[in-house]
Amino acid sequence: MKKAVISLLLIGVIGLAIGYYQWNKPKEDMASSKAEATVEAGALLKEYAADEDAANTKYLGKTIAVSGQVKESSTDAGTVKVMLDTGQDFGVYCTLDSLARHARTSFPVGENITLKGKCDGLNLDVQLSRCVEVRK
Amino acid sequence: MQKVLSIAALFLLLTSPLAAQRFFTRDAGVKFDATSPLEKIEGFTKSGTCVLDIKTGKMEWKVLIKGFQMEKALMQEHFNENYMESTKYPHAQFQGLITNLGEVNFAQDGKYAAQVKGQLTMHGVTKELDVSGIVKVSGGHLTLGSTLQVAAADYGISIPGVVRDKIAKTIKVTVEALLKPM
Repeated sequence: MKKAVISLLLIGVIGLAIGYYQWNKPKEDMASSKAEATVEAGALLKEYAADEDAANTKYLGKTIAVSGQVKESSTDAGTVKVMLDTGQDFGVYCTLDSLARHARTSFPVGENITLKGKCDGLNLDVQLSRCVEVRK
Repeated sequence: MQKVLSIAALFLLLTSPLAAQRFFTRDAGVKFDATSPLEKIEGFTKSGTCVLDIKTGKMEWKVLIKGFQMEKALMQEHFNENYMESTKYPHAQFQGLITNLGEVNFAQDGKYAAQVKGQLTMHGVTKELDVSGIVKVSGGHLTLGSTLQVAAADYGISIPGVVRDKIAKTIKVTVEALLKPM
Protein backbone atom coordinates (compact mmCIF):
# COMPACT_ATOMS: atom_id res chain seq x y z
CA MET A 1 0.00 0.00 0.00
CA LYS A 2 2.75 2.39 1.04
CA LYS A 3 4.64 1.47 -2.13
CA ALA A 4 1.62 2.26 -4.29
CA VAL A 5 1.24 5.69 -2.72
CA ILE A 6 4.91 6.47 -3.21
CA SER A 7 4.88 5.41 -6.86
CA LEU A 8 1.72 7.45 -7.49
CA LEU A 9 3.36 10.48 -5.90
CA LEU A 10 6.46 9.90 -7.97
CA ILE A 11 4.42 9.72 -11.19
CA GLY A 12 2.66 12.92 -10.17
CA VAL A 13 5.93 14.74 -9.55
CA ILE A 14 7.41 13.53 -12.85
CA GLY A 15 4.23 14.62 -14.65
CA LEU A 16 4.43 18.08 -13.11
CA ALA A 17 8.12 18.35 -13.99
CA ILE A 18 7.45 17.43 -17.62
CA GLY A 19 4.56 19.88 -17.79
CA TYR A 20 6.68 22.62 -16.28
CA TYR A 21 9.53 21.88 -18.69
CA GLN A 22 7.17 21.91 -21.70
CA TRP A 23 5.65 25.19 -20.57
CA ASN A 24 9.07 26.79 -20.22
CA LYS A 25 10.82 24.95 -23.01
CA PRO A 26 13.32 27.20 -24.73
CA LYS A 27 12.76 28.52 -28.23
CA GLU A 28 14.52 26.66 -31.00
CA ASP A 29 18.18 27.57 -31.30
CA MET A 30 18.45 28.95 -34.82
CA ALA A 31 22.22 28.63 -35.08
CA SER A 32 21.92 24.84 -34.78
CA SER A 33 18.58 24.54 -36.60
CA LYS A 34 19.07 22.45 -39.71
CA ALA A 35 17.95 24.07 -42.97
CA GLU A 36 15.35 21.90 -44.69
CA ALA A 37 15.95 23.66 -47.99
CA THR A 38 18.63 25.83 -49.53
CA VAL A 39 17.48 28.24 -52.18
CA GLU A 40 18.56 31.38 -54.02
CA ALA A 41 16.52 34.54 -53.22
CA GLY A 42 15.35 35.15 -56.81
CA ALA A 43 14.28 31.53 -57.26
CA LEU A 44 12.37 31.58 -53.96
CA LEU A 45 10.36 34.69 -54.88
CA LYS A 46 9.66 33.24 -58.34
CA GLU A 47 8.28 30.07 -56.79
CA TYR A 48 6.03 32.15 -54.54
CA ALA A 49 4.89 34.38 -57.39
CA ALA A 50 4.07 31.35 -59.55
CA ASP A 51 2.07 29.41 -56.92
CA GLU A 52 1.83 30.69 -53.36
CA ASP A 53 0.09 27.61 -51.98
CA ALA A 54 2.60 25.22 -53.49
CA ALA A 55 5.50 27.32 -52.21
CA ASN A 56 3.92 27.45 -48.74
CA THR A 57 3.61 23.65 -48.71
CA LYS A 58 7.29 23.49 -49.46
CA TYR A 59 8.65 26.25 -47.22
CA LEU A 60 6.11 27.71 -44.73
CA GLY A 61 7.18 27.38 -41.11
CA LYS A 62 10.39 25.60 -42.05
CA THR A 63 13.98 26.62 -41.48
CA ILE A 64 15.44 27.48 -44.87
CA ALA A 65 18.75 28.93 -46.03
CA VAL A 66 18.45 31.71 -48.60
CA SER A 67 21.38 33.23 -50.45
CA GLY A 68 21.39 36.49 -52.31
CA GLN A 69 22.85 39.92 -52.70
CA VAL A 70 22.15 42.51 -49.98
CA LYS A 71 19.87 45.20 -51.40
CA GLU A 72 19.34 47.08 -48.17
CA SER A 73 19.84 46.56 -44.46
CA SER A 74 18.43 48.52 -41.56
CA THR A 75 18.29 48.61 -37.78
CA ASP A 76 15.24 49.95 -35.98
CA ALA A 77 14.98 49.78 -32.20
CA GLY A 78 17.30 46.78 -32.11
CA THR A 79 15.56 44.90 -34.92
CA VAL A 80 17.89 44.21 -37.82
CA LYS A 81 16.41 43.54 -41.24
CA VAL A 82 18.10 42.59 -44.47
CA MET A 83 16.52 42.73 -47.93
CA LEU A 84 17.94 40.20 -50.36
CA ASP A 85 17.78 41.24 -54.00
CA THR A 86 15.76 39.06 -56.33
CA GLY A 87 16.14 41.16 -59.48
CA GLN A 88 12.42 41.92 -59.16
CA ASP A 89 10.42 44.68 -57.42
CA PHE A 90 10.00 42.65 -54.26
CA GLY A 91 12.64 40.69 -52.43
CA VAL A 92 13.30 38.27 -49.63
CA TYR A 93 12.95 40.24 -46.41
CA CYS A 94 14.84 38.77 -43.48
CA THR A 95 14.58 39.75 -39.81
CA LEU A 96 17.55 38.70 -37.69
CA ASP A 97 16.87 36.55 -34.64
CA SER A 98 16.69 38.69 -31.52
CA LEU A 99 17.66 35.73 -29.33
CA ALA A 100 20.81 34.69 -31.21
CA ARG A 101 24.27 36.18 -30.97
CA HIS A 102 25.36 37.54 -34.34
CA ALA A 103 28.91 37.95 -35.64
CA ARG A 104 27.69 41.12 -37.36
CA THR A 105 24.47 43.04 -37.68
CA SER A 106 25.29 45.32 -40.55
CA PHE A 107 25.62 44.06 -44.08
CA PRO A 108 27.16 46.06 -46.92
CA VAL A 109 24.91 46.55 -49.95
CA GLY A 110 25.93 44.29 -52.81
CA GLU A 111 27.58 41.58 -50.72
CA ASN A 112 26.50 38.01 -51.32
CA ILE A 113 25.33 36.41 -48.11
CA THR A 114 23.37 33.41 -46.91
CA LEU A 115 20.78 33.75 -44.17
CA LYS A 116 19.02 30.90 -42.44
CA GLY A 117 15.64 31.49 -40.84
CA LYS A 118 11.98 30.54 -40.57
CA CYS A 119 9.91 31.09 -43.68
CA ASP A 120 6.77 33.05 -42.69
CA GLY A 121 5.26 33.18 -46.18
CA LEU A 122 4.55 35.81 -48.83
CA ASN A 123 3.61 39.39 -47.91
CA LEU A 124 4.65 41.19 -51.12
CA ASP A 125 8.17 40.04 -50.25
CA VAL A 126 8.90 36.55 -49.02
CA GLN A 127 9.47 37.06 -45.30
CA LEU A 128 11.89 35.20 -43.08
CA SER A 129 12.05 35.63 -39.30
CA ARG A 130 14.60 34.58 -36.68
CA CYS A 131 17.46 34.68 -39.19
CA VAL A 132 21.12 33.94 -38.54
CA GLU A 133 23.92 34.34 -41.04
CA VAL A 134 25.44 31.18 -42.47
CA ARG A 135 29.13 31.91 -42.81
CA LYS A 136 31.14 30.23 -45.51
CA MET B 1 5.63 78.81 -72.57
CA GLN B 2 4.26 75.32 -72.24
CA LYS B 3 7.70 74.08 -71.31
CA VAL B 4 8.00 76.69 -68.60
CA LEU B 5 4.62 75.68 -67.26
CA SER B 6 5.46 72.02 -67.16
CA ILE B 7 8.76 72.75 -65.47
CA ALA B 8 6.88 74.88 -62.95
CA ALA B 9 4.40 72.07 -62.45
CA LEU B 10 7.19 69.58 -61.97
CA PHE B 11 8.87 71.92 -59.50
CA LEU B 12 5.64 72.23 -57.52
CA LEU B 13 5.19 68.50 -57.58
CA LEU B 14 8.68 67.86 -56.30
CA THR B 15 8.60 70.48 -53.56
CA SER B 16 5.07 70.14 -52.21
CA PRO B 17 5.22 68.30 -48.87
CA LEU B 18 3.22 65.28 -49.95
CA ALA B 19 3.68 65.02 -53.67
CA ALA B 20 3.11 61.30 -53.69
CA GLN B 21 -0.29 59.74 -53.78
CA ARG B 22 0.56 56.37 -52.34
CA PHE B 23 2.41 55.65 -49.13
CA PHE B 24 3.87 52.35 -48.09
CA THR B 25 5.76 50.40 -45.48
CA ARG B 26 6.87 46.81 -45.05
CA ASP B 27 7.78 47.39 -41.37
CA ALA B 28 4.38 47.95 -39.79
CA GLY B 29 4.14 46.92 -36.13
CA VAL B 30 1.22 44.72 -35.13
CA LYS B 31 0.79 43.65 -31.53
CA PHE B 32 -1.90 41.52 -29.99
CA ASP B 33 -2.74 41.12 -26.35
CA ALA B 34 -4.98 38.30 -25.14
CA THR B 35 -3.89 38.62 -21.53
CA SER B 36 -6.32 37.38 -18.91
CA PRO B 37 -6.02 37.79 -15.14
CA LEU B 38 -4.42 34.32 -15.14
CA GLU B 39 -1.97 34.53 -18.01
CA LYS B 40 0.10 37.07 -19.91
CA ILE B 41 -0.39 36.41 -23.64
CA GLU B 42 1.23 38.78 -26.11
CA GLY B 43 2.62 38.58 -29.61
CA PHE B 44 4.36 41.04 -31.82
CA THR B 45 5.62 41.47 -35.37
CA LYS B 46 7.27 44.38 -37.12
CA SER B 47 6.86 42.96 -40.62
CA GLY B 48 3.36 44.02 -41.59
CA THR B 49 2.82 45.72 -44.92
CA CYS B 50 0.60 48.77 -45.27
CA VAL B 51 -0.36 50.83 -48.31
CA LEU B 52 -2.40 54.03 -48.16
CA ASP B 53 -3.69 56.04 -51.09
CA ILE B 54 -4.22 59.57 -49.76
CA LYS B 55 -6.38 60.68 -52.68
CA THR B 56 -8.96 57.96 -52.25
CA GLY B 57 -8.37 57.08 -48.58
CA LYS B 58 -8.04 53.41 -49.44
CA MET B 59 -5.72 51.39 -47.26
CA GLU B 60 -4.57 47.81 -47.04
CA TRP B 61 -2.71 46.06 -44.24
CA LYS B 62 -1.36 42.54 -44.34
CA VAL B 63 0.56 40.52 -41.81
CA LEU B 64 1.92 36.98 -41.75
CA ILE B 65 0.72 34.98 -38.76
CA LYS B 66 3.91 32.95 -38.45
CA GLY B 67 5.85 36.18 -38.06
CA PHE B 68 4.36 36.86 -34.61
CA GLN B 69 6.92 36.30 -31.88
CA MET B 70 5.77 35.35 -28.40
CA GLU B 71 7.72 34.99 -25.21
CA LYS B 72 7.11 31.29 -24.68
CA ALA B 73 7.88 28.71 -27.37
CA LEU B 74 4.95 26.50 -26.39
CA MET B 75 2.52 29.41 -26.40
CA GLN B 76 3.68 30.38 -29.89
CA GLU B 77 3.18 26.79 -31.05
CA HIS B 78 -0.37 26.73 -29.69
CA PHE B 79 -1.10 30.14 -31.21
CA ASN B 80 -0.06 28.88 -34.65
CA GLU B 81 -1.34 25.32 -34.53
CA ASN B 82 -4.46 25.36 -32.36
CA TYR B 83 -5.87 28.85 -32.67
CA MET B 84 -4.78 30.68 -35.82
CA GLU B 85 -4.05 27.51 -37.85
CA SER B 86 -1.37 29.51 -39.62
CA THR B 87 -0.41 26.74 -42.04
CA LYS B 88 -3.94 26.80 -43.46
CA TYR B 89 -4.41 30.57 -43.07
CA PRO B 90 -0.94 32.13 -43.34
CA HIS B 91 -1.97 35.78 -43.21
CA ALA B 92 -4.42 38.30 -41.81
CA GLN B 93 -5.53 41.28 -43.85
CA PHE B 94 -7.43 44.52 -43.42
CA GLN B 95 -8.82 46.51 -46.34
CA GLY B 96 -10.40 49.80 -45.45
CA LEU B 97 -11.41 53.27 -46.46
CA ILE B 98 -10.95 56.51 -44.51
CA THR B 99 -14.51 57.86 -44.35
CA ASN B 100 -13.64 61.32 -43.04
CA LEU B 101 -10.91 62.01 -45.58
CA GLY B 102 -11.87 65.70 -45.71
CA GLU B 103 -10.82 66.12 -42.08
CA VAL B 104 -7.31 64.84 -42.67
CA ASN B 105 -5.04 67.48 -44.15
CA PHE B 106 -2.19 65.54 -45.70
CA ALA B 107 -0.58 68.81 -46.80
CA GLN B 108 -0.07 70.09 -43.28
CA ASP B 109 1.93 68.52 -40.49
CA GLY B 110 -0.26 67.54 -37.59
CA LYS B 111 -2.30 64.82 -35.92
CA TYR B 112 -5.70 63.94 -37.29
CA ALA B 113 -8.40 61.56 -36.11
CA ALA B 114 -9.42 59.13 -38.83
CA GLN B 115 -12.48 56.94 -39.16
CA VAL B 116 -11.93 53.81 -41.16
CA LYS B 117 -14.51 51.37 -42.46
CA GLY B 118 -13.34 48.08 -43.81
CA GLN B 119 -13.04 44.32 -43.72
CA LEU B 120 -10.74 42.29 -41.54
CA THR B 121 -9.90 38.80 -42.73
CA MET B 122 -8.21 36.30 -40.49
CA HIS B 123 -8.47 32.59 -39.84
CA GLY B 124 -10.38 32.41 -43.13
CA VAL B 125 -13.24 34.63 -41.89
CA THR B 126 -14.01 38.14 -43.18
CA LYS B 127 -15.89 40.65 -41.01
CA GLU B 128 -16.90 44.27 -41.42
CA LEU B 129 -15.07 46.52 -39.01
CA ASP B 130 -15.23 50.20 -38.05
CA VAL B 131 -11.97 51.49 -36.67
CA SER B 132 -10.90 54.84 -35.33
CA GLY B 133 -7.28 55.77 -35.55
CA ILE B 134 -4.76 58.55 -35.79
CA VAL B 135 -2.98 59.86 -38.87
CA LYS B 136 0.13 61.84 -38.08
CA VAL B 137 1.56 63.92 -40.92
CA SER B 138 5.17 64.86 -40.35
CA GLY B 139 7.89 65.94 -42.76
CA GLY B 140 6.51 64.09 -45.75
CA HIS B 141 5.86 60.89 -43.82
CA LEU B 142 2.67 59.49 -42.36
CA THR B 143 2.23 57.55 -39.16
CA LEU B 144 -0.95 55.50 -38.83
CA GLY B 145 -1.94 54.09 -35.49
CA SER B 146 -4.95 52.39 -34.01
CA THR B 147 -6.13 49.98 -31.38
CA LEU B 148 -8.90 47.55 -32.20
CA GLN B 149 -10.81 45.00 -30.21
CA VAL B 150 -11.24 41.66 -31.91
CA ALA B 151 -13.44 38.88 -30.56
CA ALA B 152 -11.83 35.50 -31.24
CA ALA B 153 -15.24 33.83 -31.62
CA ASP B 154 -16.19 36.19 -34.50
CA TYR B 155 -13.37 34.68 -36.55
CA GLY B 156 -14.15 31.06 -35.83
CA ILE B 157 -11.35 30.72 -33.29
CA SER B 158 -12.56 28.42 -30.55
CA ILE B 159 -10.91 28.35 -27.18
CA PRO B 160 -11.26 24.97 -25.42
CA GLY B 161 -12.92 24.82 -22.00
CA VAL B 162 -9.80 23.95 -20.01
CA VAL B 163 -8.01 27.14 -21.00
CA ARG B 164 -11.08 29.35 -21.42
CA ASP B 165 -10.28 31.44 -18.37
CA LYS B 166 -6.65 31.86 -19.36
CA ILE B 167 -7.25 33.57 -22.68
CA ALA B 168 -9.11 36.84 -23.07
CA LYS B 169 -12.22 36.53 -25.25
CA THR B 170 -11.65 39.94 -26.77
CA ILE B 171 -8.18 40.47 -28.06
CA LYS B 172 -6.62 43.90 -28.19
CA VAL B 173 -4.75 44.52 -31.42
CA THR B 174 -2.49 47.57 -31.70
CA VAL B 175 -1.12 48.66 -35.05
CA GLU B 176 1.41 51.32 -35.95
CA ALA B 177 2.98 52.06 -39.30
CA LEU B 178 5.35 54.74 -40.52
CA LEU B 179 4.59 55.18 -44.21
CA LYS B 180 6.87 56.69 -46.80
CA PRO B 181 6.04 57.86 -50.32
CA MET B 182 6.04 55.06 -52.83
